Amino acid sequence: MPRNRYVTGPVILPVVEVNPDLVELVPLGPSVELPFFCGPLDLLLHLIRKNEVSIYDIPILSICDQYHALIRAMQDLDLEVAGEFLWMAAWLLQLKSKMLLPRTETEEGDPREELIERLLAYRRVRELASILHDKDLVRRCIWPAGVIADFGDEELDLDWEEVDLQLLAETYLQVMQRFAAAHPPPIEVLPLRYNVQDKMREIYQRIAEDDILPLTRHLNRRPDPEEVVVLIVAALELVRLGAARAEQSVPFSEIYLRRGTRQLDEGSLNRTEREGADD
Amino acid sequence: MIDDSLQALIEAVLLTARGPVTADAISLATDREIGEGAIEEAISGLAASWEEAERGVRLERSAGGWRCVTPPQFDHYLRTFHGIASRQKLSQAALEVLAIVAHRQPVTLPEINFIRGTNSSAVARTLLDRRLIRLAGRKKVVGKPFLYRTTKEFLLHFGLERAEDLPDPEDLVEPEVAADA
Repeated sequence: MPRNRYVTGPVILPVVEVNPDLVELVPLGPSVELPFFCGPLDLLLHLIRKNEVSIYDIPILSICDQYHALIRAMQDLDLEVAGEFLWMAAWLLQLKSKMLLPRTETEEGDPREELIERLLAYRRVRELASILHDKDLVRRCIWPAGVIADFGDEELDLDWEEVDLQLLAETYLQVMQRFAAAHPPPIEVLPLRYNVQDKMREIYQRIAEDDILPLTRHLNRRPDPEEVVVLIVAALELVRLGAARAEQSVPFSEIYLRRGTRQLDEGSLNRTEREGADD
Repeated sequence: MIDDSLQALIEAVLLTARGPVTADAISLATDREIGEGAIEEAISGLAASWEEAERGVRLERSAGGWRCVTPPQFDHYLRTFHGIASRQKLSQAALEVLAIVAHRQPVTLPEINFIRGTNSSAVARTLLDRRLIRLAGRKKVVGKPFLYRTTKEFLLHFGLERAEDLPDPEDLVEPEVAADA
């Protein structure tokens, strides 16, 4: 049977003999519907309800066997069983083996405790979900004032006779607009126009000559933000190397660069370039 | 302003407003000439009188304000009139995720997945698209997962004033322990 006949969502299965005790099968033309489970906890709750047992005292042995039989049935039908169902199957097996072993003194509590907690938490969610479901049934029929504007995105049923070339063209433009909005042009990254080493050299020479460089004023005179960034990096690099000292008397005032303790020659400037490239 | 014209003013505001209106906003529109309490009282009176009569408009309190809505029995005619085939239903999975977010917000997707025992990311996406839940920052734990909260649309859709007005699921499940004992 071709695989693509299966759909996700409510699972439609071809007619295969399945133990009717395990699955409630609803005949539906040539195929049957398996109750759709929203995950392994949903399936477990279903089994607990079906067997009319207490959630606080789950008969792990029989529930585990039923769970596995159901999973096997799904697999026999060539249905892909999601990983979480298998994970729960493994957990149930582990619990089953624990329940079969005689209890030792050292063991604490019921091995089923965590499973019970999870089931209770999930059942609370189910209850709330069913309340929301009931509310939704009524509330969806209530219209607020001026609602029509909000239905812009709603799929409209069009009669084929009403579709003309104009509408087709308009629709095409709408789609392309949406596409353009969802795919903004990429940000262009241009190669750097300034070189940190050049700027280091420039600042270093300025400090060597004048002994002092008002950094903020120097930066404010550069109209190109890219150059400003490179200058700041160069200044920081010089301070890090000890070739310059930065001084600021009070916060937000002018930052003065002065001669540092270390002398830089061409060689060490080029070395920082290599270090920079390695970083 | 006498009572009748106050109710008329309220009708005018509610007719033209988009979304729910608070009594405070109407009071502000009268330059505080009429207090919030008097307006709240007038709206309640209006709501009660509209409820009594067989009318196509109702006043409803949700998401912290008042708004005009239609009674549900006219849905079929309204859909036919406006040419809207049908509205999408919420799936069981969507309702579960919505219930978890409403009850435990702010909550992360891994937490939702844990409670449901199954992956819920596609469902969360749908609910985000339908603006029933929204992103509300990130949780400061490893991986910085997104936090989810319900929206004003959620409150309006379910006719709630606050998300806390949803019943406590603890009260909904009949105590099974007592029956076993």
